[in-house]
Amino acid sequence: MMLPRLVPPATADPASTDALRAEVRDFLAEQLTAGAFTPSVDAWLSGWDETFTLALADRGWLGMTVPKSYGGHGRSFLERFVVTEELLAAGAPVAAHWIADRQIVPALLKNGTAQQKSQFLPRIVTGECYFGIGMSEPDSGSDLASVRTRAVPVDCGWSLTGTKVWTSGAHHAHAFILLARTAPVDPAHRHAGLSQFIVDLRAPGVEIRPIMSMNGAHHFNEVILDDVFVPDAMVFGQIGAGWQQVTSELAFERSGPERFLSTFTLLAATAEQMASQDLFRSNDLGRLVARIAGLHQMSMAVASALERDEPADVPAAVVKVLGTTTEGDIADFADLHAGDTGADPGYVELVHAAVDQRPGFTLRGGTNEVLRGVIARGLGMR
Amino acid sequence: MSSELATIDGVDPAVVDMMDAVFADYRGTHPPAEGRIGRDPALWQALDELGLVRLTGSESAGGSGAGWREAAGLLSAAVRHGVRTPLAEHDLLACWLLDAISVPCDEAVRTVAVLDARGAARGVPWAGDAERVVLVWPSAGQYRVVDAEPGSLRITPGTNIIGEPRDDVLANIDTLAGVPVPVERVAQLQRKSALVRAIQLCAAMDRILALSIEHTTSRIQFGRPLSKFQTVQNLVSDIAAEAALARSATEAALAAAVTADWSGANLDFLIAVARSCAGHAASVVVRNGHQVHGAMGTTREHRLHEFTRPALAWRGEFGTVAHWDDVVTDAALRVGAVGLWNLITD
Repeated sequence: MMLPRLVPPATADPASTDALRAEVRDFLAEQLTAGAFTPSVDAWLSGWDETFTLALADRGWLGMTVPKSYGGHGRSFLERFVVTEELLAAGAPVAAHWIADRQIVPALLKNGTAQQKSQFLPRIVTGECYFGIGMSEPDSGSDLASVRTRAVPVDCGWSLTGTKVWTSGAHHAHAFILLARTAPVDPAHRHAGLSQFIVDLRAPGVEIRPIMSMNGAHHFNEVILDDVFVPDAMVFGQIGAGWQQVTSELAFERSGPERFLSTFTLLAATAEQMASQDLFRSNDLGRLVARIAGLHQMSMAVASALERDEPADVPAAVVKVLGTTTEGDIADFADLHAGDTGADPGYVELVHAAVDQRPGFTLRGGTNEVLRGVIARGLGMR
Repeated sequence: MSSELATIDGVDPAVVDMMDAVFADYRGTHPPAEGRIGRDPALWQALDELGLVRLTGSESAGGSGAGWREAAGLLSAAVRHGVRTPLAEHDLLACWLLDAISVPCDEAVRTVAVLDARGAARGVPWAGDAERVVLVWPSAGQYRVVDAEPGSLRITPGTNIIGEPRDDVLANIDTLAGVPVPVERVAQLQRKSALVRAIQLCAAMDRILALSIEHTTSRIQFGRPLSKFQTVQNLVSDIAAEAALARSATEAALAAAVTADWSGANLDFLIAVARSCAGHAASVVVRNGHQVHGAMGTTREHRLHEFTRPALAWRGEFGTVAHWDDVVTDAALRVGAVGLWNLITD
């Protein structure tokens, strides 16, 4: 009669992280006073600022969960969650290190060789090594198992040929983790025969082409690989286990605070505009603030589950479906109110950035349609 | 998925099983009746014998010494089986208030009426079925409380959409002495009342989800179970996601309330968040729940309405959804851009 819980209960005492939150807030206030950044929308995708990244590294807020033996700080996943939540809520420019810190660190810790860990982790911690993601392809968007990039064994390594797409920051990053087919598709086992590789984005045979976004911004790239040599030492995890590795990465990719805070600076600015009566008051503001507060609590609970090493792909999908819809609704809410009201130009700029970024919210990291399928599977419907 | 059951966390599963068994048994022999639901003395007695009526009362005063988590488990179990009885009003609200002001609380079944300055209250839960009504009314900048005989009150019967007693109460407060109580105590009562309905709402939505999964995986149309259609999966996934958000927000508010003994600085905000999230969740959960059940879900015979109609009733009690949105909006406007994030996380 009762179903198992879809999302784990919150276990962490919110007060246990108060001191850390205060520390990050002080730092952000200093940076703002110094004019080091302007709060913006979707700054984890669009705010590439290596100076800011180095300042964070200085405070010990990159690679927080990396063990001290690899130059890290040995902090908990929940502490990392708190720091990133504070940075995102402030609209700070965290794009440069974002993928490395969020995804590559836990992936390396779980599947990396000792050599890979020694080579990359210390440099991620010091803010000197940036990563991208090489999953999607021109013909493989939501259907990731259909990737066609091929890796064939050659002397002392592998030769990679294919095209990756939507690689954020590839034009700045040092490397990416790429998903490729190492065995032909077996229609009965579509998820078999996939493997991951760490690929140097400056290696011979790698070509990076910009993909311009509709507002003229450049975040995304196409990465074309033509017979790129990857040494055996850069095989990531087990050959043939790519699918399992990727799906466990996705729980980290999907449940984090970036899935509901991409437009938080706009929500806060809208509260300000309504408080000063530059915009008409609407109680939809309260509805949206309440949803963000609920998502904060839910996302914290998932972070605790990841900390305990529990499988979290289904709750992560729940956070992402609700969170990305809500952050998009915030963009739309602001746009419904701002129009040609002569609102403050800085505010209007935030609204425009948010409506332009919005379509991506419910696409990246797995479309919400795919994620609803993940939830349905978790419910035993498929 | 984690293995914990869908109760407010931390309740012994054996206790939950016992609660479930009592209500399942009762519901099995008492299908929903037409019209106003009465309080069933036989059920009340059975619950009393199990120590579930005064669950959170201190053991020295004849209670069971349990906490809010167990009480939430009990309320949720009653909801899961569609059994209506004033457990929350009696134990968590009326008897708690009397205990808090050191007024003795006997065996009588109670509810609370918060009166206005004229001595009137609308839609008081179970007032016409209670043996005593704890009256609360404003007086000289604070409140006064008295444990009243229903015979001394004018009670006009009414019900909510599912037939639960929601009666208008009129008292002649000029003739009542009462015990003075501070404003904060009444604020605590209102917080507790609001969270009671949030807990019940979450339990109803979880049950709608369970029924929707059960129905769509067993009902065959076009040669396959409904659950194999993606569009149906999407409807049910959204039920699950919204119900989970309501639960996260409600559990966070309850945890904060219990930790700070119902008086934390940020508690009013957290409760308003829970009620807003749960109230809006009900829109999606009720709509999609009915949609996937098709026409049969709209009948008296099908059990779905035992959960969808209460969800709509309860989200509007002890504060409408619009009211809670208004409370959160006020809080956001008060703190402005610089304080909004602190408001959410503190």
